[in-house]
Amino acid sequence: MSGARSSAFSDRSGGWLINAIFVATFLITAFLIVTPLAALLHGSFQTGSPGTKTVFTFKNWADLGSGNIIHTLLTTCFISIVTAVFSTLGGAGLTWLVYRSDFRFKRSLVAAVGLSFFFPGFILAMAWVILASPGGIFNDLLDIEWLQFDIYSITGIIWIQILHIIPFAFFTLRGPMISMDSSLEEAGYASGANPWAVIRRVTLPLMIFPLLSSLLLCFVLSVEQFAIPAMVGIPGHVNTLATELYLLTSFSPPNTGLAAAVGLAMSAVTGLSIFLQRQIVRRHSAPTVTGRGYRVRPLTLGRWRFLADAICLFYVAMSFIIPALALIYTSGIKFFVANPFEAAWTWRNYGQIWQSPGTIRSFWNTLVVAGGGAVLGLTLGTLIAWFTHRLKPRGYQALDALASLPFGIPGIVIGLGFLWSYVYLPIYGTLLVLVFCYVARFLPYATETIGAQVVQLDKSLEEAAWASGANRLASFRRIILPLLRPALQSGYFLLFIAYFREVAAAALIYTASTQVLSISIWAFFENANWGVASALSIVTTVITVTLMATVMRAPLKV
Amino acid sequence: MGIFVKGLVKRYGGKTVVDHIDFEIADGELVSLLGPSGCGKTTTLRCIAGLETPDGGRIEIDGEVVFDSASGRVVEPYHRNIGMVFQSYAIWPHMTVFENVAFPLRVRGAKAADITSRVSRALQRVGLGAFHDRSSQQLSGGQQQRVAVARAIVHEPAVLLFDEPLSNLDARLRDETRAEIRQLQHDLKVSTIYVTHDQTEALSLSDRILVMHDGLIRQLGTPEAIYARPNDVFVAEVVGTANFFNVIVTTDGHAVTPGGATFHSSCLSPAGPARAMIRPDRLIISATVPAPGPNTLQGIIRQRLFMGGHYEYVVETEAGSPRVLSSDEFAEQTPVVLSFDAGDCIFLPA
Repeated sequence: MSGARSSAFSDRSGGWLINAIFVATFLITAFLIVTPLAALLHGSFQTGSPGTKTVFTFKNWADLGSGNIIHTLLTTCFISIVTAVFSTLGGAGLTWLVYRSDFRFKRSLVAAVGLSFFFPGFILAMAWVILASPGGIFNDLLDIEWLQFDIYSITGIIWIQILHIIPFAFFTLRGPMISMDSSLEEAGYASGANPWAVIRRVTLPLMIFPLLSSLLLCFVLSVEQFAIPAMVGIPGHVNTLATELYLLTSFSPPNTGLAAAVGLAMSAVTGLSIFLQRQIVRRHSAPTVTGRGYRVRPLTLGRWRFLADAICLFYVAMSFIIPALALIYTSGIKFFVANPFEAAWTWRNYGQIWQSPGTIRSFWNTLVVAGGGAVLGLTLGTLIAWFTHRLKPRGYQALDALASLPFGIPGIVIGLGFLWSYVYLPIYGTLLVLVFCYVARFLPYATETIGAQVVQLDKSLEEAAWASGANRLASFRRIILPLLRPALQSGYFLLFIAYFREVAAAALIYTASTQVLSISIWAFFENANWGVASALSIVTTVITVTLMATVMRAPLKV
Repeated sequence: MGIFVKGLVKRYGGKTVVDHIDFEIADGELVSLLGPSGCGKTTTLRCIAGLETPDGGRIEIDGEVVFDSASGRVVEPYHRNIGMVFQSYAIWPHMTVFENVAFPLRVRGAKAADITSRVSRALQRVGLGAFHDRSSQQLSGGQQQRVAVARAIVHEPAVLLFDEPLSNLDARLRDETRAEIRQLQHDLKVSTIYVTHDQTEALSLSDRILVMHDGLIRQLGTPEAIYARPNDVFVAEVVGTANFFNVIVTTDGHAVTPGGATFHSSCLSPAGPARAMIRPDRLIISATVPAPGPNTLQGIIRQRLFMGGHYEYVVETEAGSPRVLSSDEFAEQTPVVLSFDAGDCIFLPA
């Protein structure tokens, strides 16, 4: 096999060019991913900050054991475990309703879950501060002692994170649920088992590994979460590892060395979880459809259907509708008051967006970073997917490992790594740092999206092109690229959206001239300018949701 | 009481896949639903199992109404006393062989001792006595199929439903398993519906065959009757290879080909254009010329295929080029005469 491969590689038909492209891809990937990690490792042994005079020390690693950090670690784990359990339960419940029951509003529910999926976490957090902080809408309007809810708390963080992560669980679980061989469940009914027995004894045991996998993914998403704990945790003096790292870096006196050690420790937790998750997926995929596509006859909810309706409506209201309404309300009033009847309505907040040169600049910056950066990210991702799934030249496993590394590294940690390394490079303070950082952080998004499609393409399609006389490059350009186009399109917009709304990776490396939209919103919010922050959030959400609705219809379909 | 189906209708979207069909299956009888894919046979089976809800009609299993559109009665599949073998076998990968087979008993609340003995008996019956503790994922396709059968019979259901159970097995195993299913059904004397698109399976297994096409029943009868006297060209082709000749029926039992050959048939048929059908094994091929008369065709052997036990010839005649089976050897291009009995020739609507 390897002999055939290498000989096919050194043929005269463009072989040297492909080799050159492979080497370039490998080096760029290594540069983007290894540099920040190496810088972090270096930084974790330094006393000072990047760019200052600093000496070697073990103190940062020793400080990881301090009571403060251990407490933060435990808090993070507690928050993340609770979040993961409830998100997976919620996601599984919704998946079951949509794909196994006669729930009446399947289409609307999937569309609504899709909306929540694309509703940026930091905007959701902001809306919930407006709703449920001590002076917020709920608490002010519902002036009842025992119904007061302080969002600035561990419960608050968990609540918002669950709302935010349920759609991830839903989209993770629906694949296995759809592709599970439905005759396995039908055989249960035919054997005389009632729906509850079939769920308990057939569906659940068969879904156990997808559920575990979802649990681990949700755990990782929660550990990496920066925006939500930053917005509701920092004011309530609840720190997670991500916000701790941010505080250590951004407030003086900075302790960037300890932050680097925290970041590496954090990556160890998330990296290990991702490793476990991938092992599970690889070894225990649920039995899939072999025969015809008969759908399981949906189960009759009967009198339970009102309960199902109510639960779903509650979720959709809490995760999207009410937060969006709160933002619209806040964006349209002069001064914040909880009662709409006492509010002075105005367009002023929207006007301020256009009058502030800083905001206009952050619009342009975001467009450049998201629009242009996504091209770079997608190109690199496509090349990597092509090399690792199809051509498999010598060293492709290393490339694959490198490219999937960012899966296990939280955004804020990558940001810190870039801060440690790029201070020394001439691009410091330019948008290019943000672009590099985003490309690195979201590289797995690109390689997974494209890779899934590459695997689907039968090799004979390409071989037929060779047999017809097209060399590797020509067959890639004329056969493969056109066939990959749907994946490329969705990959592009996935990256665009991800770059567009990223907070964590940008939080540490933006400068006044490279501020992006997400950071502007956050800054307005932190300065208690809730009106403009809300107005900007609405503009951002409308852009995101419109893009997703027009371009990526697929994920919203039942 | 077997199975009783009346006016069964099932639609998907605007398409009617089962179109008002009626049939009855006697106690202990095995009936095959035979037809090409998309003819509605599997949908009919799934309606009887309760895995699909029909749009109209009435179904009774063992005397109990399990579906009736008039009264709105729908019995859930798990409350119907059925055993079903799926095309994909649907062996649960998270259970051992024993647990798979024990499942129908467990959900019915059987006692532990009872379960052990009945599962053992069921497994013995399908020849898997030693497979109790085997993980279901270590089984071959043929073994999985047997586990599926054991699981379907272990609770002694009123009816057995087979959905193309042999289509995923290789040819040799299929022949063997077919015979075993027939034996098993004979021993259990349980009413059985067997869905298949394979004519050999239907012919060899069934007490009666129900041929379906486009959601309609085209013919229902014993294998011998359907093979020898199909209602129409479609049924004739579904149950086996058939030779057709264009003829004009003159008087009852007599017809002429455009070339002037005369066919006599013992079947009655209205006058006018028709298709005469003769099975390849019913045409007699000979080199010696018998007295010219009805039911003979002069021809030349155009192709010879050696099939092992016999030869298959394509013989060119002025009436057409039928296929003929014979154990006698003839060289290609030999002039021959084909003849047949009036009882082996039937006239079908053109």
